[in-house]
Amino acid sequence: MTFGQVYEVFARKTHDEPLRHVGSVNATDDDLAKAYAWTLYDEESWVEMCVVPRSAVIPITQHGSVPVWGN
Amino acid sequence: MTTDTKPVFESLEGMSEPCRLGLRNIIMACADTKLLLGYHYGEWTFGTPELEAAVASCSLSQSELGHVRLLQAVLKKHYGDDPERLIDNRPAAEFANVAFLDEQIERWPGFVAMNAIVDLAVARVLHAFRGSSFKPLRMSVEKMLDEERYHIHHGRGWFRALARQGEVTRGSLERQACAALTSVAEWFGPADDEQDAALVGASVKSMANAEIFRALLEDVSEMASGTGVNVAAAQRASLDGWNPATRRVGVGGPNEEILFHLRGSKNEVFKLG
Repeated sequence: MTFGQVYEVFARKTHDEPLRHVGSVNATDDDLAKAYAWTLYDEESWVEMCVVPRSAVIPITQHGSVPVWGN
Repeated sequence: MTTDTKPVFESLEGMSEPCRLGLRNIIMACADTKLLLGYHYGEWTFGTPELEAAVASCSLSQSELGHVRLLQAVLKKHYGDDPERLIDNRPAAEFANVAFLDEQIERWPGFVAMNAIVDLAVARVLHAFRGSSFKPLRMSVEKMLDEERYHIHHGRGWFRALARQGEVTRGSLERQACAALTSVAEWFGPADDEQDAALVGASVKSMANAEIFRALLEDVSEMASGTGVNVAAAQRASLDGWNPATRRVGVGGPNEEILFHLRGSKNEVFKLG
């Protein structure tokens, strides 16, 4: 029903590991994105979780393509 | 040099009678409201407008029911209230939940008002127990508030999302929000409640209910600002004859259908003895 934007979800289980991408949610604003991320990706006891609007991510490689030197 | 004279209660020993009574009543009121919130969130797991909200609703239900267990454990240990009796054998008229939750929540704007206003009201009461002089409760409050944060994000997000949906939806949200606020005002009770004053006086609670309600109104007004939803129409009914145990002026309580499901009556035969 709601038309929002995609938020990428990042989380980590311990403070000494890097944040990793765990998935994404669709939400109309930051509040809903936080609630959805927390309740959808609750398979671990995260010490940190954050969401980033996909529109705020600046791609460096060409979108969707594999660089000639591979990944 | 000043010394901290704030009392610390490991149990009810040393508390005044109004304080003991007030503490039982407010814990019961929070537990009952959370029980009903848990029920309604659970019911809405399969009725939300989008899949993410269904998952969230299910999660909100689980955390509310977990909080009920924490609060009822305090009631059991310190007041001898058996959690099974509190749910299975208590007449509806003895429940102390926010009256907005007495009946089925039929439409999504009602759910959003419940989430954004009623749930937040209980969270605000729990917040007033942070650093409480009653140690057994203080230890559970942080965990509950930590989880409540996501309930509030969900309520606020949906409140604003619905307010943008057009005049009819916004009007429906406004009516439900005002009804929820009116109901919450009754639940908080009169400003001169003796038991509430005793709780604040003994540092069991950091704020009086009237102050908490004012803070809630500010939260809701801030949430509604710029959305076109006018919550100023919420009524504060007369609180003459208000009962601190049921937190109502008259007689009420959850309807029998809700109690039937809460009690697991349909599956009574499978209850473990």
